[in-house]
Amino acid sequence: MKTRDQEYRELFMAEALEYYDSMSRHLSELERNPDAGPALNELFRLMHNLKANARAMGFTDLGEVAHHLETLFGLIRDQERTFSGSLIKVVFAGVDALGNMIRAVGAGQPLPDATVLLDNLDLLVRGEEPILEETEEVETEEESGKKMELSDLVYIQVKKLDNLLNLVGELVIDRDRIMTLAQEIGNPALLATAQHLFRISDDLQYSVMDARLVGVGVLLNKFPRVVRDVASAESKEVELTLSGQDVQIDRNILQIITDALLHLVRNAVSHGLETTAQRSAAGKSAVGHLTLSALTERDDVLIQVRDDGRGIDTEAVRRKAVERGLTTASAAANLDEQAVWAFLFEPGFSMASKITDISGRGVGLDVVKLALDSLGGQLRVESQLGVGTTFTLVLPTSIAVKGALLIEVDERPYAIPLMHTDTVLALQPDKISVVGGVLVTHVQGQAVPLIPLRMLLHDEGDEMLPFADKADMTGAQQVLVVNYNNRRLGLLVDRFIRQQNIVIKPLSKPLDTIDLFGGVTLLGSGQVCLVLDVPALTRLFLTKRP
Amino acid sequence: MNKRILIVDDSFYMRTMLKNMLTDAGYEVVGEAANGAQAVEMAASTSPDLITLDVILPDNTGLDVLKSLRQIQPTAKVVMCSAVGQEVIVTEAIENGALAYIVKPFSEEKVLEIVGAALQNDASEQAA
Repeated sequence: MKTRDQEYRELFMAEALEYYDSMSRHLSELERNPDAGPALNELFRLMHNLKANARAMGFTDLGEVAHHLETLFGLIRDQERTFSGSLIKVVFAGVDALGNMIRAVGAGQPLPDATVLLDNLDLLVRGEEPILEETEEVETEEESGKKMELSDLVYIQVKKLDNLLNLVGELVIDRDRIMTLAQEIGNPALLATAQHLFRISDDLQYSVMDARLVGVGVLLNKFPRVVRDVASAESKEVELTLSGQDVQIDRNILQIITDALLHLVRNAVSHGLETTAQRSAAGKSAVGHLTLSALTERDDVLIQVRDDGRGIDTEAVRRKAVERGLTTASAAANLDEQAVWAFLFEPGFSMASKITDISGRGVGLDVVKLALDSLGGQLRVESQLGVGTTFTLVLPTSIAVKGALLIEVDERPYAIPLMHTDTVLALQPDKISVVGGVLVTHVQGQAVPLIPLRMLLHDEGDEMLPFADKADMTGAQQVLVVNYNNRRLGLLVDRFIRQQNIVIKPLSKPLDTIDLFGGVTLLGSGQVCLVLDVPALTRLFLTKRP
Repeated sequence: MNKRILIVDDSFYMRTMLKNMLTDAGYEVVGEAANGAQAVEMAASTSPDLITLDVILPDNTGLDVLKSLRQIQPTAKVVMCSAVGQEVIVTEAIENGALAYIVKPFSEEKVLEIVGAALQNDASEQAA
């Protein structure tokens, strides 16, 4: 488990080593050109930062040396001292000392003594001559023999990792095409190379996803403070237990669920857990228990918020849902617990107006559902009245990138996941026949029904699709053959746009009831593009064909 | 609504510490700028309620940045952040509209106290 202190230490080390390298570089420049203003300013700034950071970490001696050097560089910058003579020797010795101290911090060793150096720096600041010993000269001569060390850590912007992931996504699409081509062509050397490419790009994809993983602890470790604050505001006693901090998850996923988790935790403390008096009256321990845990289940990461509070009052939620007009009284009566609890995540649904006796859960919980939907995650609720509630966020480990074919109908783009696409055809009208009111063509000797996609998209009500007519067909028809459950269906579209990696986001209400659309994606241009659900399209065609 | 804060500091370590302290306390950190140019750009795009501003920055001094910030975001409260030794600049900064001064190394309590007090203070709005 990585604590915050460890994290700070690593950050401090990485930055200190970086500062040290820059200092050495700027010093060399200053030695060549003693009037180099920018180098002086940089040295001054780097010393200043190192001093502040070292003091924050409690490395007083390191901070002290940096502070003296900062003062000295300030004087040189203000032209009260010149970068010459014995000053140069002391400054170099000073920067060397900083390097040794930083390395000692990194190795967890005591910092080397810097008394002589500090005395000399003091003398220089006061405008007096430093006392140089012979040995110091020898030490500086050894410089060239010293080992150079670079930090083992690289800090990288998430944006760059996003970029890398997108590129890998595209590479994977091309890889798949090359693989298919190689199989068609049947050249053994080509096939072997394609298979190698397949493995390598798989490894690459895995490595990039791996680089984006962080421990869930970076988020969970923020919660002790939140719980303490909410608990003290509510005058409750809460004991928080964290576990699974080192479970790995994509950094962006963690970012997206931050607010959701914050909501659930605040809710658990202020509504889930009872007051000390209520708990004692119910025969429970006075201190409420809240557990935040992360665990891995197959390819998913589970984050659980568990409290031993009053639990969800299912009947109260049922009544509230009817009151709010979300369902009828008769329908509500037949809903099971899970279906009733689902109302808690409806936008604006709140139990807060009915305080006191009723479990007041539900304040803004739709935020949680929205975050999970945007990730393709799930929410599980378990609750027992009087015993407690557990919310489980089921999250993908990594952000799903899927290949899709973009097509156009009536000047709107639609995406069809490559998982379901079979062939793309340009058919002259004479290749299309009408059989039993349905357009049909033959692909590789097999009859495949065709339907203008427009017709499925515009379909409403229970009426059957109209009888097909090819009278007004002119020129080549663009057909995308999709495949679902070994059933092939040709969709007539206006145009093929391109293949692209997409991240599918589920539709939000009220569109989520239209099952022809599996979700929505954003194109590079920022245009919203609906993702077609091939199974649903196929089912619609089968039930409504004339 | 949570108060929105922009952190300006050229040290990643310092920014991380400040950000943790502030977000733990329930503030929303809307951006982290590592130099003056970024600071001015982010202040314009995020319209923060408060800006913590390091005195010494790579491209220009915190004082220049302060003046630009006061022009583009006159309602934003600015708290200077510096290690000891730069008191002169800090005094000048206060004269230019900064509300307070956090001395590095800082304790969490001190940061929250100063930031909280600065957010309560509406002198900068009156000045604007």
